[in-house]
Amino acid sequence: MTHFSARSLLKNALSGHKDWPAQWPESQPKAEYDVVIVGAGGHGLGAAYYLASQHGITNVAVIDKGWLGGGNTGRNTTIIRSNYLYDESARLYDHALDLWDNLSQELNYNVMYSRRGVMMLAHSVHDEQSFQRHIHSNRLNGVDNCWLTPAEAKAFCPPLDITARRRFPVVGAALQRRAGTARHDAVAWGYARGAAARGVDIIQNCPVTAIRRGPDGAVTGVETAKGFIRAKKVAVSAAGSTSVVLQSAGLRMPLESYPLQALVSEPVKPCFPCVVMSNTVHAYISQSDKGELVIGSGTDQYVSYSQRGGLPLIEHTVAAICEVFPMFRRMRMLRKWGGIVDVTPDRSPILGKLPVKGLYVNCGWGTGGFKATPGAGHLLAWTVAKDEPHPINAPFTLERFTTGRLIDEAAAAAVAH
Amino acid sequence: MDEVDLLILGAGPAGMAAAAEAAGAGLVVALLDEQARPGGQIYRDVTAVPPARAAILGPEYRAGRPLAEGLADPRIRHIPGATAWKIDPDRTIAYSVDGKAALIRGRRLLIASGALERPVPIPGWTLPGVMTAGAAQILLKQSGILPRRAVIAGSGPLLYLIAAQMVRAGTPPLALVETQTRGDLLAALPHLPGAIRGWRSMAKGLGWIAELKRAGVPRHRGARDLAVDGAGRAEALALTAGGRRRTIPCETVLLHEGVVPNIQATRLLGLPHRWDQAQRCFVPRHDRWGETPLPGIHVAGDGAGIGGALVAELSGRLVGLCAAAALGRLDPVERDRRAAPLFRTLARERAVRPFLDAAYPPGPQTLSPADGTIVCRCEEVTAGEIRRHARLGCKGPNQAKAFGRAGMGPCQGRFCGLAVTAILAEANGQSPDETGYFRIRPPIKPVTLAEIAAMAPTGPDKDSA
Ligand SMILES: Cc1cc2nc3c(=O)[nH]c(=O)nc-3n(C[C@H](O)[C@H](O)[C@H](O)COP(=O)(O)OP(=O)(O)OC[C@H]3O[C@@H](n4cnc5c(N)ncnc54)[C@H](O)[C@@H]3O)c2cc1C
Repeated sequence: MTHFSARSLLKNALSGHKDWPAQWPESQPKAEYDVVIVGAGGHGLGAAYYLASQHGITNVAVIDKGWLGGGNTGRNTTIIRSNYLYDESARLYDHALDLWDNLSQELNYNVMYSRRGVMMLAHSVHDEQSFQRHIHSNRLNGVDNCWLTPAEAKAFCPPLDITARRRFPVVGAALQRRAGTARHDAVAWGYARGAAARGVDIIQNCPVTAIRRGPDGAVTGVETAKGFIRAKKVAVSAAGSTSVVLQSAGLRMPLESYPLQALVSEPVKPCFPCVVMSNTVHAYISQSDKGELVIGSGTDQYVSYSQRGGLPLIEHTVAAICEVFPMFRRMRMLRKWGGIVDVTPDRSPILGKLPVKGLYVNCGWGTGGFKATPGAGHLLAWTVAKDEPHPINAPFTLERFTTGRLIDEAAAAAVAH
Repeated sequence: MDEVDLLILGAGPAGMAAAAEAAGAGLVVALLDEQARPGGQIYRDVTAVPPARAAILGPEYRAGRPLAEGLADPRIRHIPGATAWKIDPDRTIAYSVDGKAALIRGRRLLIASGALERPVPIPGWTLPGVMTAGAAQILLKQSGILPRRAVIAGSGPLLYLIAAQMVRAGTPPLALVETQTRGDLLAALPHLPGAIRGWRSMAKGLGWIAELKRAGVPRHRGARDLAVDGAGRAEALALTAGGRRRTIPCETVLLHEGVVPNIQATRLLGLPHRWDQAQRCFVPRHDRWGETPLPGIHVAGDGAGIGGALVAELSGRLVGLCAAAALGRLDPVERDRRAAPLFRTLARERAVRPFLDAAYPPGPQTLSPADGTIVCRCEEVTAGEIRRHARLGCKGPNQAKAFGRAGMGPCQGRFCGLAVTAILAEANGQSPDETGYFRIRPPIKPVTLAEIAAMAPTGPDKDSA
């Protein structure tokens, strides 16, 4: 693996950047692996990387129906934060945030993690009370989150309109300073590169069509477009396609798949220093390094596997943005896109063992799993390697939907992020 | 939301003819077009052009007048100045007029959004003073503006027409630089019988060439390695022809390597396309009535495959008849009776195409530009960078977006799309069909946030996920 350093960058700059080698080889599947991971998104690739780097398991294949990072990993608005309400969730997301801190160094790959702060706007007394509750609960869990007055919010994000005449006046905001954004593709590429360098095969353009089980019920491998691949352990990390993939193993998952949309404007000079979210008016916005405003919308009201999504949602989101940031009214929208997100009834993920021997799942991250990428990868690798969950993901079982021990983050996840 | 029987995007010959035919059968028609006046590219402004300019533009231009005047039918609503920016498979179009967005839906939908000039990525093509020959023609048709000291370069019959129009206007091009070779002409010879069937078009072309000869416009054939030179703006066109490198000083370079279907709308709809090797472009799949695999959605005119104005008009009429029959306003037997002569003329008019396609292929630089040449102008991505993406494992244009942002600017690949596909196909040893094309996202033309916001019903939506 090429090591990126000031020296190697300089050397390649002098030769016009023409001599960089491929960062991961194109692999063809072997007949058998110790572990097969379905889905080469950030989560699946992260799991492969940690299996190899922390557990010494390198006979691993990550299989994707498209190209790596081409799913939700490459489609999301990259908001990273950990100010969730419940203890279990706060631990889960904060674990990921800790890993983000050092990820570029660990992978020797710049994932452009930028702690620019995520500010959530309160528009009503109800919002304020619920945010204050979040702030107190977060602080008890050691998660940073603080309250800003409207003037403080405006100072933190100058484009914000805090005049009271607005239909949605800003009555304050909750700010997590450690939160921010990262470059989505780079996360997938960095993990892919690190995993491949340790011997993991990344097999692209190869849909997994079924999971096969033996007479004893245990997993025996996966059926793919490139033939059957044997594996005693299979981990499914296929986001919006999870329920379809697991159906072939005879499992019905409590997941609904919805299109979630985002859009970008034309690029402009840096004018927006942080991430702003508004749950009430349902919109969130940041500025990419390229200069585009990145605006996130909501999920469609109905389930679907089409990667588009309806116009009314975009209208609604854009109306909200124009309301809170009138200065953006004349900016032009360049394009919108969608991804299929997998949503659980309690809006928390399912990460752990399944009631089939050798089968593991990481799904249900819904509208907000990018922020968890390093954490999810790390915990999935642990669970697969040890065949038991890490204490952090132990509560996030499938069984909670039968026992009733839900982790109801519907409020924290009320806005798609 | 407005609803009509037949909704047509594009008021060129195909759209206008379809509107007339459908309205004649009693259908309520709406015709959207970005331009202020009907006509499309070929008959641009034909209803408003002053007589002197019409004379320059010639009889093939004036022939569009009756079509445009046909839009006076009260059943046809022509919505000018309308930029369509979102088109859905349920046949709804979101469009904006004067900064106000609106929705309209058709029981049938015709996409007649015509052709684009094939972009010509040669070194220096991004310099001021370089434009496509068609752009120069628009300036002439719409505003009576003519380029001075211009060289016109590329290949294809339209090149002769535009050059001839410049001669008639009193500003002949300094030179006509053609990239097609004698070999191309030889390759076209087997298609000669078709060309003879389509002798009318051939005669027109030969007439334009004769006009250029009379005017003494120098012709360079088989030109290779075109490059625009200049510091800050175009000052000369360099080329190799007849084994000799030469430089022609000029102020304007007009490039033209033929036209290709404008597939932004049909790609946005997710319609299947196939690579047409003869025309070196993607074409949406459709049947003989222009109907695509999406029920009730048709294509006609150059957007369905390059055929020229007359083919466009005929294919538009067929869609009009088909729509009328599908909506129960025309007996199928009557439809077929009216369609029969149209199909016959269509076959005759199309007969000349294989000859023209073979004789005037796009120059080698257009689909395989040199490494240093910018291909995606919006994001400034060179051909060499795209080849480097391929070496790093990039198989198709959508993956290329993640690698280097090609196609992610405001034009969404209208400029670079075909070149990016062709470069990746060549580098990966795949066919263009396997390589695929950019996924086109709404809006196909940028719209302001305020326009979209104004469409939203008031009141926040509380029960979002
Ligand atoms: C518009 C949008 C905005 C978002 N914004 C944010 C945000 O701001 N912050 C945040 O934290 N999260 C956000 N998310 C959510 C986030 O993107 C996801 O939760 C996260 O990326 C999931 O990662 P993943 O690796 O599990 O999924 P993916 O990247 O989708 O990976 C799953 C992979 O599985 C593959 N696959 C599926 N089926 C098969 C099969 N049968 N065979 C083989 N491979 C298969 C897919 O091709 C895909 O590559 C957003 C999502 C969307 C769509």
